[in-house]
Amino acid sequence: MRNVMKTAAGLALAIVLGVPAMAQDTLTIGIMVPTTGSEATYGQDMANAVNLAIGEINAAGGVLGKQLTSTIGDDGCDAQLAVNAASKLAASGVVGVVGGYCSGATVPTLKIYGDAKIPLIIPAANSTKLIPENPGNAFMINSTGNDQVAKAIEYFNGKGVKKIAIINQGDAYSQDLADLTKKNWEAAGTTVTDIEVTNKRGPYYSAVVTAITSANPDAVFWTAYYADGGLLIRQLRERGYQGLIAVGDGSNSPELFKIAGPAAEGVIAFSNPTAEFLPEAKAFAEAYQKQFGAAPGPYSTLSYDAMKLLAWALNTAGTTDSAKVIETLQGANFTDSISGPISFTPEKTLARSNFVVLEGKGGAWTLAQ
Amino acid sequence: MAQFPERPSAWGGLATLLDTPQKRYAAIAVILVAMAVAPYVFGSYGTVILTNALLYVLLALGLNIVVGYAGLLDLGFAAFFAVGAYTVGITTLHFGLNFWLALPLAILLAIIAGIVIGAPTLRLRSDYLAIVTLGFGEIVRITARNLRETGGASGLIGIDSPWLFGWHIRTPLDFYYVFCVLAILGVIASVRLANSRLGRAWLYVRHDEDAAEAMGINRVKVKLAAYIVGAIYGSIGGAFFAANLGAISPESFSFRQSVLILMAVILGGMGKIPGVILGAFIVILAPELLRDFGDLRLLIFAVGLLLIMLFRPSGIWPARSKSR
Repeated sequence: MRNVMKTAAGLALAIVLGVPAMAQDTLTIGIMVPTTGSEATYGQDMANAVNLAIGEINAAGGVLGKQLTSTIGDDGCDAQLAVNAASKLAASGVVGVVGGYCSGATVPTLKIYGDAKIPLIIPAANSTKLIPENPGNAFMINSTGNDQVAKAIEYFNGKGVKKIAIINQGDAYSQDLADLTKKNWEAAGTTVTDIEVTNKRGPYYSAVVTAITSANPDAVFWTAYYADGGLLIRQLRERGYQGLIAVGDGSNSPELFKIAGPAAEGVIAFSNPTAEFLPEAKAFAEAYQKQFGAAPGPYSTLSYDAMKLLAWALNTAGTTDSAKVIETLQGANFTDSISGPISFTPEKTLARSNFVVLEGKGGAWTLAQ
Repeated sequence: MAQFPERPSAWGGLATLLDTPQKRYAAIAVILVAMAVAPYVFGSYGTVILTNALLYVLLALGLNIVVGYAGLLDLGFAAFFAVGAYTVGITTLHFGLNFWLALPLAILLAIIAGIVIGAPTLRLRSDYLAIVTLGFGEIVRITARNLRETGGASGLIGIDSPWLFGWHIRTPLDFYYVFCVLAILGVIASVRLANSRLGRAWLYVRHDEDAAEAMGINRVKVKLAAYIVGAIYGSIGGAFFAANLGAISPESFSFRQSVLILMAVILGGMGKIPGVILGAFIVILAPELLRDFGDLRLLIFAVGLLLIMLFRPSGIWPARSKSR
């Protein structure tokens, strides 16, 4: 039995070593964002914004008399990796998690945070598919796809658009947005000429471009992310498409102009409030620029607000007990935010629409008139 | 009183360890005990990634039969994995079928898929075969992405976790033990197959198809059998994967997935069961253990893989068998 004994001794040692050294004077916040893969730009941005908020909270005395620290879980925008990241965060004793960028990767993590009873504030992911899967501990502070669709249709109607083509990339977020747009657009009695699915990371979109130029709709609505959106926009304009091009909130990055070049002039984007268009966010944008040497990206304001909201909820509840924190969040009427007041519907989604319309001008986004 | 061996090295000592039944049983007992207590040692996060690793052990063992035993390069193995996952997802969600009824159906469909991909490609060799299997993998994924029944790009959400004789398999710990059992069954089946008449036939076909046929081996049957057995492994893995995550989407069955499984097989050593198990563990655990390195994680992982392939081109597991 000697080797068994040795194994047992080894295991006992592993138990001792395996218990994480918990410092009692700090509280840890989990950040679940993609820091690798195609969406890493957004994810890093969000993590930076959360850490900026943590720095400010700590300077102001911390939460419940303790300083905050953060730990990042990279979800890689992939369901399986996200489950691993969420399990790691849940097991590491975080008092709350800010995160969720890719809706498809966020869905399977809801159960994990739910079982671990950890309050989760989702700053970016906004697929309506998240709502029925929410075990009750997750709060979405980004307007959902429904709000974006309402804004998009309002804009198209205002421009007298009759026929649109909707293009998505076949992932949960862009397909959800495309389907919702199609449903509501057709319910209003207008036509969708074409609904196309492109494959992720195709450098050439000739099939889609040909389909669109031959159908010649008044507007093209790209519901997926900027990296491929930029390529598609360039190829559409190169092939002579003259109509309106609109993109969803996954494509409102400044990077779109680098990829699409002059073709992005006049492109319309629906966006949740980003720092440059919010007067309240001026101080935030400056602090972000100073600390990270770059302008804050599209989801940074919401991530910053998410962290501030979580700190507020912890302080207001007066405890890290998750049931109390979740109850506090549900009843929140949080106005100390830069993207507008935050309160929740019974479904735990943002109680108001926060979408704005942007237009590409001179290689940058400006508020559309 | 039988002498128990001094703690053997995991590398070279395996053959000497296994030379008597007593030693073999002792080794098996140690492994079983280690598997049983691992979740309590490594905590909930450890349990989740170990479960993931065990899933890949199962998948890699399945691919090992196709690639390692029969020598058929398959770049679309995730397709069988997807067939299993989607069959369970669709039948339990849309038709309210019990998981245990859906499972044999998933296996049956995977067998059909194995024949569909196997039959037309039997005349192809090496590179050409790889291209066809690559295409097959993509066809399955893109089909899943575009059909209404498969939930399109959003996939299927809310797949129920199964019950087994009054035991509701739902927590990560439950699934860990389920995957332990699956991996053990997978290993036993692999060992038995390798030593069987069919296993030897695969070996001959791998080494020299024409000579094997001249010796009376039915090349077509033998190759098809490899695809079918591989497909069964894949579909069982997929079925339990779907039940475990509760949500599946086409992105989980991408080319990257096929490559990851193939990597586990090649890294450990094609055709060698302990090697394949080791490969599966490395492929899954290494990126997780490197999480603390943040952005450098995948770089370090990639460099590690390159180094392994540079210094051990035929896989980590020692090629020289000491038992002979």
